[in-house]
Amino acid sequence: MDIYGSYRPVIEGIMNKLAALIESSGHRESGEKLYEHLIYRIKDDESMREKLKAGGFAENEYNALREMTDAIGLRVVCLFIDDVYECVELIRALPGCSVINEKDYIQNAKPNGYRSYHMILDVTSEAPDVEGNVPGHFFAEVQLRTIAMDTWAALEHEMRYKKDISNQKMIEQELRRCANDLAACDVSMQTLRKIIRAQ
Amino acid sequence: MKILFAEDEADLQDVVKTYLEYQGHHVTAVDNGAEAVDMTKTDAYDAIVMDIMMPVMDGISAMKKIRESGNTIPAIFLTAKSQVEDRIEGLDAGADDYLTKPFSMEELNARLRALHRRMRDYKVRTLTYGNLELDTEQSELKAVNTISLALKEVKLLGYMIAHAGQDVTAGELLDEVWPGEDAGDDMVEMYISFLRGKLESVQANVTIMGDRERPFRLMETI
Repeated sequence: MDIYGSYRPVIEGIMNKLAALIESSGHRESGEKLYEHLIYRIKDDESMREKLKAGGFAENEYNALREMTDAIGLRVVCLFIDDVYECVELIRALPGCSVINEKDYIQNAKPNGYRSYHMILDVTSEAPDVEGNVPGHFFAEVQLRTIAMDTWAALEHEMRYKKDISNQKMIEQELRRCANDLAACDVSMQTLRKIIRAQ
Repeated sequence: MKILFAEDEADLQDVVKTYLEYQGHHVTAVDNGAEAVDMTKTDAYDAIVMDIMMPVMDGISAMKKIRESGNTIPAIFLTAKSQVEDRIEGLDAGADDYLTKPFSMEELNARLRALHRRMRDYKVRTLTYGNLELDTEQSELKAVNTISLALKEVKLLGYMIAHAGQDVTAGELLDEVWPGEDAGDDMVEMYISFLRGKLESVQANVTIMGDRERPFRLMETI
């Protein structure tokens, strides 16, 4: 049985609505897009069950939608660091959403080099939630990052899920160095854009 | 200090070795240039003291071989007073200093200390200021976060750290970071902007003041 039970169409609807809201407001007055691409997904059944199990929770729709916050996930990938922060502001201002937690891993990179901006939203919906509240409250997680950070995260993810890597320590160290190189490029590109636009 | 001493005159070798050891150094004495070259291949020394005129291999040839192998350890030559050419050739071969025979042991020891001091300065790898750590070998800047720097940025920031709290002009920075290159004040300003972005990115409590009109200055913000 589906871990989200009868709530799957509800959370799919919320996810699509969030994406549409971001798509409709994700540009400057000049028409320039604030982000390069937006992807979104409902955490698949198997991953959600694994995560619940790892957290010591029973596998049911209540826990999937209350104890976990990433059943609905969106990722906003931007060209420049400043655009990431503009998108953060945009998401804060989305109607029917309130930010209940956010972490700036761009300002405070994780020790392995991971950089991104994370937000957990409480989204209000006309449909009742798992506690029977009307309007209902549902969680959604948003990750925002630059293309460079996205490329890095993709590779790090691949390494993490690969079993038995022979020289893991060395690869981790080099990944950390790449994260620092990419961050340097992001910052330099940002600076150059400012210089170009000031002219 | 760990000193390699090459001298073929047995009496002189003995006297100098005894004196330097009495001064707290560890001395390995060899009788000619070839032995000196061999020793540098297997052991790390803080300094070499070498006579020029030696059998088997003279000091200048030995010096050249040592430098060709990439070894940069400080070296002092001992030369006869009359041999100006020897001194020039010795310095050109890679020696850092020389003493003419007869020499004062105290002076030899003082020169060794001076060379050692300078080598230590050269080897400073991590520069620090405020909460900043600049790893000049890895080209890495660290405060709360870590970020990579371009080589020019390392040189620029290294110079700013060495002159922290002081006014530094764009001209000075051009001479230091872009010597002999086709670069102007615009280039300095752009690299200062790059550095400012990176200082902010690692959450440094350090900032670069100054602009087109006023000299630059590295300062702590707290």
